[in-house]
Amino acid sequence: MRVRIEDHFLYPPAGSAAARAAQFGVDLTLTLGNLRLTPEERIRKLDGFIESVAKLKNSTRVKGTADATADENH
Amino acid sequence: MPLPTRIIEAPLRLLGEYRVDCVIVGGVAAAIHGSSLLTSDLDVCYARDSANLKRLAEALQSVHARLRNAPEGLPFILDAETLRRGLNFTFATDIGDLDLLGEVRGIGHFEAVVTDSVTVELFGYRFAVMDIGKLILAKRAAGRPKDLVALPELEAIQEAQVIANDSEHEAEN
Repeated sequence: MRVRIEDHFLYPPAGSAAARAAQFGVDLTLTLGNLRLTPEERIRKLDGFIESVAKLKNSTRVKGTADATADENH
Repeated sequence: MPLPTRIIEAPLRLLGEYRVDCVIVGGVAAAIHGSSLLTSDLDVCYARDSANLKRLAEALQSVHARLRNAPEGLPFILDAETLRRGLNFTFATDIGDLDLLGEVRGIGHFEAVVTDSVTVELFGYRFAVMDIGKLILAKRAAGRPKDLVALPELEAIQEAQVIANDSEHEAEN
């Protein structure tokens, strides 16, 4: 079953929804990676992404503030 | 200000702990089905019977839920009666954002949403998750760019679910 889905996503048959998604720009290897996880693992992965984005935003803000302070001191 | 952690898991645990009768919809439902698109809040469609509204109000009070994007100081009493008088609410809470929908556009109220939903175990609790066919209908009905952009991947996942079901039937026969 898994092999059939993997083949379907990696080599989408013409006219399939998978082919349309790939044409649209969806990276089906990411989708496939999610389908290999349990639903709970998918939520944990989503939370991990959200936390990473928040950390990135926070560090950018802190760096921006530090740079602005440094500029004022020059 | 502390950075957010487990902002999807924590509200799910809250709803499970308070035995709130609801269906996971929206971006988190899409993620549970396998979508790779990001979302940052939990949307649920909730049952509007009195007992459930009481449990829901207690759950929300326990995490100091307040209306998101509402003017500071706007009077708001968070209890079952307020939930009964309203329909859709967007809350910020101590543990993450939580959107409560009394109705899902394109599908209807809780009874219509829960029909055909799939049951999934998450963090020790059993949750109803909107079936992918209805999720596609709801996204199409919502019609915002962020909903429409999710459709091609959801349709591919729906197709994969059909293949998986067909394979299971073949294996049984």
